[in-house]
Amino acid sequence: MVRPRLILVALAALLVVGVAALGLERFPPPEFETDYVRPTTTAPNPPQGLWEYVDAGVLAVTLVLATVLILRTRNRKLIFALMLFCLAYFGFFRNGCVCPIGAVQNVTLTIFDPGYAIPLAVLVFFALPLVFTLFFGRVFCGAVCPLGAIQDAVLIHPVRVPRWLESGLRLIAYLYLGAGVLFAAMGAMFVICRYDPFVGFFRLSGNWEMLVVGACLLLIGMFVGRPYCRFLCPYGVILRQLSRLSRWRVTITPTDCIQCHLCEDACPFGAIRKPTEPWPNKEYQVARRRLAFLLVLLPVLIGAGGWAGYELRQWLAMVHPEVRLAQRIYLEENALVEGTIDASDAFRALGRSSDELYAAATQLRDRFGIGGALLGAFVGCVIGGKLLSLSVKRRRTDYEPDPASCLACGRCYRYCPKEHERLKRGREGLVRH
Amino acid sequence: MTQRQGKMDSGVIITVLICTALLVAIGAVLLVDATGRRGSGLSRVYELDAVRLASFDPNLILYHEVGPPIATGFERSRALALGANGRFYIAGDKAVHVLRDKGTLEQVIRLASEPHCVAVSAEGRLYVGLRDHVAVFDEAGQRIVSWEPLGERSFLSSIVVARDDVFVADAGHAVVLRYDKTGQLIRRIGEKDPDRDIPGFIVPSPYFDLAVAPDGLLRVVNPGRTRIEAYTFRGDLEFFWGQNSIRIEGFCGCCNPANFAMLPDGRYVTAEKGLIRVKIYDADGVFEGVVAGPDELVVGGAARVFLSVEDAEASGFDVAVDPDGRIFVLDTIENTVRLFVEREKG
Repeated sequence: MVRPRLILVALAALLVVGVAALGLERFPPPEFETDYVRPTTTAPNPPQGLWEYVDAGVLAVTLVLATVLILRTRNRKLIFALMLFCLAYFGFFRNGCVCPIGAVQNVTLTIFDPGYAIPLAVLVFFALPLVFTLFFGRVFCGAVCPLGAIQDAVLIHPVRVPRWLESGLRLIAYLYLGAGVLFAAMGAMFVICRYDPFVGFFRLSGNWEMLVVGACLLLIGMFVGRPYCRFLCPYGVILRQLSRLSRWRVTITPTDCIQCHLCEDACPFGAIRKPTEPWPNKEYQVARRRLAFLLVLLPVLIGAGGWAGYELRQWLAMVHPEVRLAQRIYLEENALVEGTIDASDAFRALGRSSDELYAAATQLRDRFGIGGALLGAFVGCVIGGKLLSLSVKRRRTDYEPDPASCLACGRCYRYCPKEHERLKRGREGLVRH
Repeated sequence: MTQRQGKMDSGVIITVLICTALLVAIGAVLLVDATGRRGSGLSRVYELDAVRLASFDPNLILYHEVGPPIATGFERSRALALGANGRFYIAGDKAVHVLRDKGTLEQVIRLASEPHCVAVSAEGRLYVGLRDHVAVFDEAGQRIVSWEPLGERSFLSSIVVARDDVFVADAGHAVVLRYDKTGQLIRRIGEKDPDRDIPGFIVPSPYFDLAVAPDGLLRVVNPGRTRIEAYTFRGDLEFFWGQNSIRIEGFCGCCNPANFAMLPDGRYVTAEKGLIRVKIYDADGVFEGVVAGPDELVVGGAARVFLSVEDAEASGFDVAVDPDGRIFVLDTIENTVRLFVEREKG
């Protein structure tokens, strides 16, 4: 009888031989046995097949763990430990790539460019946090996102950000999401990745400007909880909307709210909403008139945004390398600049005609006109929607986390006396058993 | 009146810190070179300085150029062969030009398509390799026969005539074909065959040269492996030599040597493309010296940047050797033939 261990050894040996056979076929790389030093590149190597699946697997497992820790165990220390693991794994070990935030652009490019095939792992990274958010709230933000984790780890002295300022600053994230989608759809740039403030820390290299931005955000993050997540994160915008629909999500109290007010200032992200008072009749009438006005204003804002976006097409199109090249070639051909640049030399070497380039650039600019109009309309819609939401009073009887803003960090649990009761009962139960 | 001395509200400090960080961050974002207009911004350690890497000891140059270059009369010269009685056979454009020693155009053999390689037999027959087939001409330039086409993927890059055989290098299929002189295919040489320890040719670009050495073995460049391999006419791999290196002793780049020729005493004359240099190796493949380096062969030398695909492709110079050991270099950029002879020793 053949032992299973022997079969395993034989399979391993076969694998080794197989790999060697594949290696034989490979084109031998040039060898520079001179004093030339091959520099270390700033970007990580392309993801290898197996690691992509390992990453997707780790993401799935950590999301499940995060859900259990946040919704059932309700233990901030364990949530924090998981957060540190995710920071170490997805951030420093895997160099911050793939991440769901940047994956928004891959998905967009897949929709608009039939020639681009999205890797399965990227699709999983994009979709899995959305699915979990739809069912369990922002558990991804709470314990899995490395960008959130690095900010959460430095939060030492949280200060309250006024609601009006918070709402205003959050518009930047919507604009950022719109720009990220627009530029990815046009094949111009992955702007979200280009301006990732923390990836330089994860890779221990990067351009100094973004390292400075990252350092500044961490400095701000010592006092203002997770500034990137709250005011900039484009993926967070999507998660906010999905979290509103979630069936199970974070609650401050494990049972009933006793209105003790103790949790009122517990959240460093300003996500806890107080119980509401009924509106006085006079105020209600004013609010109704304001709502009617804002409903009329909404299409105006959308239209104005769309018009402004369309008018900005020339400026937006300059982000696309083809349009920039066309402009450069035009300047060179009309002797408006001196000399050439690498891109214009390469263009001429390829033998393409200027007319062909100009036609392509014009077409791109027209497409940016449509895209810019949609972006502007989107921003107008967001501003209008935000104004409308401020005019609508939601009835709230308990202290509860705002489903959209709650980052599921678990800090508020320990402020609730009912939570202490639950924990006490748990400990007594353990003793009895 | 109460006065606070030496104390500042922590809220003020935090606000100042946040505002300062915010302003610095905004400034840094504005400074990001998202379009790459400022270049890579990398230090010189990232620079691959071809000029420095291509430099070598000038004492290694064993040859010098003689006489003015001879114009081939082509816009795009492709291959060079030497015939008996001092004739040059140069393939290019859509013709073969036959030139006398001093460059006098003696004969023009017009072709329907662009020739890639040319060889002359001892009887004076001309074998011209077109893209997918060989055409044979008599001494007067009359077409005798065209051999069977080899298919769409074929790209004939070199041809050599032995006593009874004709060897053709097909870069498209990465194989050497042995024919008899009537055009009957006898054997395919160099295809991957682990049972015979033949690794197969790697041909990344349309440069794939061969020659018959004085020892009676066929020499074929395996350009992707940057070496020259010796085969019997039966297709057995006997030995090989050559190493990938940007140093003068080796062959640099993805696929070199582009062309080579055999001196009467069994030594090799190799021509590399990219970093254009012509060198001498002894019969065992040991580097002996340089015929001409980039500075001697090309305007701009190693610093030359090829701005068009055609220009870059033309950097594969061909070489031929006459019975006296004189080396003829086909300059495919200037479309000339240049003669190099050994320097007086001492």
